[in-house]
Amino acid sequence: MNLVKSNCENCPVHNIDNLVKLGINMEHFDYVVALCGNPNTGKSTVFNALTGLRQHTGNWPGKTVVRAEGGFEYNEHKYKLVDLPGTYSLLSTSTDEEVARNFILFGQPDVTVIVVDATRLERNLNLVLQVLEITDRIIVCLNLIDEAKRNGIEIDERALSKELGVPVIPTAARQKEGIPNLLEYIDEVATGKYRCKPKRIKNKNPKLRKAVEVLSNEVLKIYPNLPNADWVALRLLEGDEDIIDAVKSGELGKLKKLGAVESTQEIILK
Amino acid sequence: MNPVESLIIFSLIVASLTVIFLPRKGLLAKWKHTIRSTERVLIEDALKHLYDREYNQLGCTLQSIAGNLEINSDKATNLVERLEKLGLINSKDGKLSLTPKGRSYALRVIRVHRLWEKYLSEKTGVPEIDWHDKAEWKEHELTPEQADDLAASIGNPLFDPHGDPIPTSDGRIPRKEGVPLSSLKEGNAARIIHIEDEPKAVYAQLLALDLHLGSQIIMIENTRERIKFESDGDEKVLAPIFAANVTVKLFERKTDVQKNFITLSNLKVGEKGTVLKISNALRGQERRRLMDFGIVPGAEIAVEMKSPSGDPTAYLIRDAIIAFRKNQSDHIFIKK
Amino acid sequence: MTNRNQILELANKFRWGLGGNLHDALMESIFKEASDIAHKVVITKNEKGAFSFDKKLDKIVTNRWTGFPIMFILLAIVFWLTVQGANYPSNVLSNLLVGELPHILKNFALSINLPHWVAGLFIDGGYLAMAWVISVMLPPMAIFFPLFTLLEDFGYLPRVAFNMDNLFRKAGAHGKQALTMSMGFGCNAAGVVAARIIDSPRERLIAIITNNFSLCNGRWPTQILIATIFIGGLVPAQIAGLVSAGAVVGVAVFGVFLSLVTSWGLSRTVLKGEASTFNLELPPYRPPRILQTLYTSLMDRTLIVLWRAVVFAFPAGLVIWLISNLTVGDVSLADYFINWTNPFALFIGLNGIILLAYVVAIPANEIVIPTILMLTVVHFGLTGVGAGAGVMFDTSSIDATKQLLEVGGWTVLTGVNLMIFTLLHNPCSTTLFTIYKETGSLKWTVFSAIYPIIMGFTLCFLVAQVWRIF
Repeated sequence: MNLVKSNCENCPVHNIDNLVKLGINMEHFDYVVALCGNPNTGKSTVFNALTGLRQHTGNWPGKTVVRAEGGFEYNEHKYKLVDLPGTYSLLSTSTDEEVARNFILFGQPDVTVIVVDATRLERNLNLVLQVLEITDRIIVCLNLIDEAKRNGIEIDERALSKELGVPVIPTAARQKEGIPNLLEYIDEVATGKYRCKPKRIKNKNPKLRKAVEVLSNEVLKIYPNLPNADWVALRLLEGDEDIIDAVKSGELGKLKKLGAVESTQEIILK
Repeated sequence: MNPVESLIIFSLIVASLTVIFLPRKGLLAKWKHTIRSTERVLIEDALKHLYDREYNQLGCTLQSIAGNLEINSDKATNLVERLEKLGLINSKDGKLSLTPKGRSYALRVIRVHRLWEKYLSEKTGVPEIDWHDKAEWKEHELTPEQADDLAASIGNPLFDPHGDPIPTSDGRIPRKEGVPLSSLKEGNAARIIHIEDEPKAVYAQLLALDLHLGSQIIMIENTRERIKFESDGDEKVLAPIFAANVTVKLFERKTDVQKNFITLSNLKVGEKGTVLKISNALRGQERRRLMDFGIVPGAEIAVEMKSPSGDPTAYLIRDAIIAFRKNQSDHIFIKK
Repeated sequence: MTNRNQILELANKFRWGLGGNLHDALMESIFKEASDIAHKVVITKNEKGAFSFDKKLDKIVTNRWTGFPIMFILLAIVFWLTVQGANYPSNVLSNLLVGELPHILKNFALSINLPHWVAGLFIDGGYLAMAWVISVMLPPMAIFFPLFTLLEDFGYLPRVAFNMDNLFRKAGAHGKQALTMSMGFGCNAAGVVAARIIDSPRERLIAIITNNFSLCNGRWPTQILIATIFIGGLVPAQIAGLVSAGAVVGVAVFGVFLSLVTSWGLSRTVLKGEASTFNLELPPYRPPRILQTLYTSLMDRTLIVLWRAVVFAFPAGLVIWLISNLTVGDVSLADYFINWTNPFALFIGLNGIILLAYVVAIPANEIVIPTILMLTVVHFGLTGVGAGAGVMFDTSSIDATKQLLEVGGWTVLTGVNLMIFTLLHNPCSTTLFTIYKETGSLKWTVFSAIYPIIMGFTLCFLVAQVWRIF
């Protein structure tokens, strides 16, 4: 499989005109796209580039606190884009992280785009690896690629894509570079043309591995459609209030593997 | 009104407000303390005391109850009678012991106490020295169901922040482990697994020495007068009576002992190191945040620059520049 | 149901076998993986190492000798540009919105035979307050915030926090509070919103509660006017300008001092239990996109100002007009309040008019002085000045204002105490609303309102008594 196609921004299919910026007037949409990433990786700039909104962006970690929403149309599909608060992790239980985590988990977006700072890849991969555990429809948007180039940092995005098992799209959102390519992949992943095979971390500790195995089997007995039972098991072991509540209330049962071509209705976040 | 008079009246008002609202010593605080001593509280405290003596394999008498609860012996006698009537304790030749019912009750109270201490340590900024007092209040307030919710919200912890095991909701509790710090011989290497938080004065002294669960101890000198040891690479001295309040576990293998570690704050601008561990002094959200930035064992870290006012210091960690304060870098151990 | 609970019990059982630090172990394995991947895919080519320009610049802006001067010079430039740049547009706006338009509106109201009181209430009351707020607030906001945003875009502001953190750490606060305070000099509501950049709960609350001690744009004109009249009047004319400017700066610095003291107190008492962490990422420098910044910043701020003028100032204008025109047996509501509070107000070195002005001007500090002037004229029944009951106005010259205030019984003490009280009173309603939205807590909103009032009254009282002794 050709994981990352060459930048084909001049091909007719990828014409930027295909993108109709819808601003915030979203009445009906076919797919939900979540945008997450570390603070100060240009997440809001990517959001603005996709939606044509002018949300305030700043060179300062932690600008977006509330969830911003916007929309765009591409290839005759309407997309709702949800800009989640920037977080370093999804495991540290601050309010921002809960909002982001719960949306990715319970909101079940059709695609989750993780915006990654190309100049600080290692740190950013922490979040990427955590998101890969939760959902399997992911695109890594390798942003600030211009800044990386300027500083002599090069990233082999094909190798990265192979390592992670998801598409990796280099972008420079401030210059709108790579956005057409990103759109194309959003469309492919959302419609199920592209199947991600996200990397899941193997636990080193044998006791932990055993515990997760047993527990996730039990979880699957009750919630057979759960796409990420191992992760849920791990969260239960660590004692995650939201997940425990979701198991208790049975809300976890609503989560299911997303089919190939299946649109999501509006998800109301609690 | 004459300005001098009004100033005098003003100072009087300020003074009386201080007397009323002063934390701990003020009238309001004292009043709260007295209304707290209801019968339920006395019963629960007595059971807890009995359990504690039992766990440490010490006997319990009427006197020890009176002393622990700070009540006179008449009141203590009444209390013991009441406890016997309720079927919570047995008394034989002046020696008191818990009935199974009493033990399970005691464990429930202890469970809430320790859970609350864990909650305070993980989720709030309440300083160590105040945990015990706050938990003493809370332990009488929560129902078993509320305690379970509390436990779930902090990840069903196994130990409280002092290293005491937290009883499960069905009353199981593991056996006591380890030996007192004062019993280590010269050259012995061990890890701190428990720090007793009572009496408060002793605990304050241990906190001042920056001793934490998980700290690595190497005994240097153990005499009747003083105990000198290395704790996470720093030399410290304690009186034996204080050292008895710290429980340690000897390392099983020599290779477990970390050598030559220094704190991150010891690095100078331009120097590099590898993270060995984060001390348990950094806990809760602060600890998690440090790890989010990639400060985990094995991470490379370099000192980038110091603030012109001396603190904080900016470090290069996983290609990002992050500033931390000295009270944080003091608790991150590295190897050059 | 039982099955679900069994899973949870199973999880609890496994917990005992796994030891305490599950989270630590997980993070370690994630980063191990991240680091392995990064080593495989990242190629660094730059021989000097990445970000050598950033490193050089950082050496200068965080240097022991050059760091602070650069910071103060940059801030001074921002403030100077704001003050100078806002002067002209403010005058134009004021002439237009406060000077010309009301006449036109009034004439129009006459021509369509609108009842007198309707025109008075909505034009002299609501509209005028709105216009006043816009003309005082809009120009400085439109200059100050884009400048600040440019510094932010460039990546300089985190360095300020880095330089200043030691001072704020000692006060129990976060270095980033230096920035929320600076924002507060423009507008407290903006300063409160800016506290979002502080990721630690305790320090964020501290920054929100103490932001009011930054003298905001709406309060500077009051300070300058009163200092010129009363402080400047104490010294020979040649140095009057310098001394009064010094007094205003003194009040602002006193505000900074109080905010540090308050931070210190809060972090050790009521906020002791809030969780606290510290970290400060210093992002790479990026060339700011000037045009886009100007555009978004201008749009954002302009909208905020307009929204505030309509939602908060307009109703305040209605109230101001009503209290001066509604009477209960020959005495207007305003006079009732003034007479009722006068004994207390005079005792602490203020007067009832000032207190009333601050009550009705809760929505916007900008209209305090025009309200005071109007109330003075109406209360003392002066003729030949002012524009009528309930109509805010400004005098043509500082001398005229001075004479008017002296007729109102003002002394130097009143002036000094008004300066103190302008610094120390409840935040405006926009700020309070923002505090409520940001903290989600009624308790902290009420606290933020009451605490500075108590401080203001206490300080005014002390100053008044000491003043009277000497």
